[in-house]
Amino acid sequence: MKPIAIRSGGAASWAIRLVVTALLVYLAFWIPTSASNGVIDTCITALTLMAAAMALNLLLGYTGQISIGHSAFFGIGAYATGILVSRYGWSPFQTFAVAFVVAFVVGALVSLPALRIKGVYLALVTLALALVFPQMIKWPKLVWLTGGARGLDNTGFKFTKDNPTYEIFGWNPWGSLRGENVKPFHYWIAMVIVVIVYLACRGVVKSRAGRSLVAIRDNETAAAVMGVNLAGTKALAFGLSAALCSLPGCLSAIRTGNVTPDSTNLTVQGSITFLIVMVVGGAGSLWGPIVGSVLFVFITERTGDWSDPDAIPGLLRPLFSWSSTPPGTGIFAIILIVLMFVAPFGIVGMWRRFQARFVVVVPRPAGTGTITEPVAAPAEA
Amino acid sequence: MKRGSSARLIAALVAGSFLIAACSSDGTDSTDTAADTTTADTSGSETTAEGTDTTAVETTTPGSDAWAVSTDDCIDPDAAEAPIEGTIKIGSAMPLTGGVAAAAFAPVKGGFEAYIKYANDNKLLGDLVIEATIEDDQYDKDKTPGAVSKQIDDGVHIFSGIIGSPNNAAVRDTLNEECIPQLNALTGSPAWGDVENYPWTTGILVPYTVESRVYAKQLSELYPDGATVALFYVNNEFGQVYADAFKELAPEFNLEIVDEQTIEATDAAPPTAQITSIADKKPDVVMAVPLGAGCIGFLTELAAKKAQNADWTPATFITNTCASSLILGAAGPAADGLYTSGNLKDVTAPSNAEDPAVKEYLDFMTAEGLGEIAATAAAGWTTAEVTVAIIKQAMESPEGLSRASIINAARNFTYTPMLARDGVVDTMNGAADPFLAESLQVLQYAAGTATFTDIGTLITEFETE
Repeated sequence: MKPIAIRSGGAASWAIRLVVTALLVYLAFWIPTSASNGVIDTCITALTLMAAAMALNLLLGYTGQISIGHSAFFGIGAYATGILVSRYGWSPFQTFAVAFVVAFVVGALVSLPALRIKGVYLALVTLALALVFPQMIKWPKLVWLTGGARGLDNTGFKFTKDNPTYEIFGWNPWGSLRGENVKPFHYWIAMVIVVIVYLACRGVVKSRAGRSLVAIRDNETAAAVMGVNLAGTKALAFGLSAALCSLPGCLSAIRTGNVTPDSTNLTVQGSITFLIVMVVGGAGSLWGPIVGSVLFVFITERTGDWSDPDAIPGLLRPLFSWSSTPPGTGIFAIILIVLMFVAPFGIVGMWRRFQARFVVVVPRPAGTGTITEPVAAPAEA
Repeated sequence: MKRGSSARLIAALVAGSFLIAACSSDGTDSTDTAADTTTADTSGSETTAEGTDTTAVETTTPGSDAWAVSTDDCIDPDAAEAPIEGTIKIGSAMPLTGGVAAAAFAPVKGGFEAYIKYANDNKLLGDLVIEATIEDDQYDKDKTPGAVSKQIDDGVHIFSGIIGSPNNAAVRDTLNEECIPQLNALTGSPAWGDVENYPWTTGILVPYTVESRVYAKQLSELYPDGATVALFYVNNEFGQVYADAFKELAPEFNLEIVDEQTIEATDAAPPTAQITSIADKKPDVVMAVPLGAGCIGFLTELAAKKAQNADWTPATFITNTCASSLILGAAGPAADGLYTSGNLKDVTAPSNAEDPAVKEYLDFMTAEGLGEIAATAAAGWTTAEVTVAIIKQAMESPEGLSRASIINAARNFTYTPMLARDGVVDTMNGAADPFLAESLQVLQYAAGTATFTDIGTLITEFETE
């Protein structure tokens, strides 16, 4: 069967985009207004992971710079919020900007070794960052600020009965903002973070800077010959990726109201999770981390009660009934290994390959875009 | 195809480690421990009186001036005071996966669920059926809110036995605003005594600050002229609370801290460098706050250093998170002579075999196919037992069974769990006494016989503070 050709930028292309966007917007509003609190909370977890994996994707997927240290940037966000809210009484919203700037600077500094090393060696440098971060937080000389191993409490919003509710033309989207009612509020914070991270990544990727990143990833020498500023571009990628990764960290502190250095996402296990989610979804694709995080959270949630053999679907029971603990992590690891063989570009890459059999998106013919008259070069003096 | 090749290589390596981690958390590790829980042991000299009805849940009735919660600030005061009929749903969140933590805490879940079945089988609450669900939060405080929300959606009336201080703290605001009792937090953090700000949250373990004071007091008796002490503790919230409490008490008991060493909770390697540092200082006492398998590693390393330094024979104090014959038995001769504490009976001690309560417990666990974890499941069993006793007291109260009456019962509660040592009377009395368990017996372990000997008498002086 000959695949259907859809012209990029054509009516069919726009119609598909509109339908997908409408569905996503509907889903985004349906979850906090109609889903149960448990589902909303699961979505917040997925969105948190999504934002962190998207930030990592900018660095690893597009620039080819391996980082196993993004848990530290996530932690910088969590601790920026934690310290400023619990120690200095800031509003949690105000702390996002500080976290962004601090993580950007740290990320840019971490990029310095990346100018001279790459591959496994760079991975080891960033791994060291992930390992050192929790230890720095616990450092006795910093306990006055970080709370040490105890961590920090009261790092989120403190709503009381006297707080105003936030009505919009009579519609009160978050209720009293207390107890379980605070979950839609956290959900929207998470959603805004994801949208910001997505738009930032998309903006960079589709820009001249993004093409520089891809050039560095594919052939550093060729990129340098073509005039790409390697040092500046790598520093920008590291800094921006780190800064974006700090935003879900801020949410983590707000959501649970406490921060501890041993939280999973602040340790190297968090970095590994971000990495796996991104690779399974599809590295180097804007949709990869989104798909990967949804799948990861879905599997771990769905298999949560599989320590009870009766809860396992009949077909899968012989495979997993031997385990006395839920096998979610193991299943995801198996998926990852299988994908490495059958779909090295992740689920999104596999989907694109599959979709190409039926639908082909034809690029806009050259010359159909806006044409700018070339400016004549000034005459030599 | 250069794109992503490095990422795939790393991801494949990582996937392998995930698989190993997933496979290693099946709870069959022979060194599984009920870390961070009070599984105390005794020489077994005390047994409950012959003929005691171990299935009866005896509670006290609080007076008319007893502490009572206000439901005015609840999101839904009516729901908090609505009668609970037919079935009471108890929720909890524990680490069921996640490697070391899951392996360490697996017996707590087994013990908790076993007692709920025991209570239902024996109709301890009459016709009221108890349903317990335990969600997995992987010991990750970011996952606890989701686990709790899911259970609230399912209509859970109360929560009990959530493990971990950050995990309990992560849901404390929500549960207090919703006015859902968060009973028996399975951590010894002093934070669970904040009756004013968190009236709906209670703890069940002896506060770490109390345990530290018990050891400091014992040390002052062993060394009336003062002593030098080296602190060794696990570098997390649990260890730091302990260490801070001990350091604060040291001057009061004429104890000088000469060294301070830490180990990460996830470190599998023995703490050789840390113990070498301690041995160089040759302190009179080593005060250790390890966790899980770290208890064995610490004791083994310490024994090796002592063997190399014949003139150095420090007294060793270790927190009751390690006070299980299973853990100390694994440490072998290295554990000989150490001091620890506890408030529960050693269910594995031969001298306790005829104790009616211990017998009842072991028989039931064995019948349920949980005999293997009986030694370390007592903490979970006791947590569920206390929860059921609180519900019973609430049922018998004039207001009848509701979420509000349950927290009122919990905060006006006097009870002796069936596996508690003789003389232990757990008491909670509103803001005047916000901690349930504060009695401890100092114990000394004899590796040769794998038994504990009581040192002095049961310390109950903190119970009323």
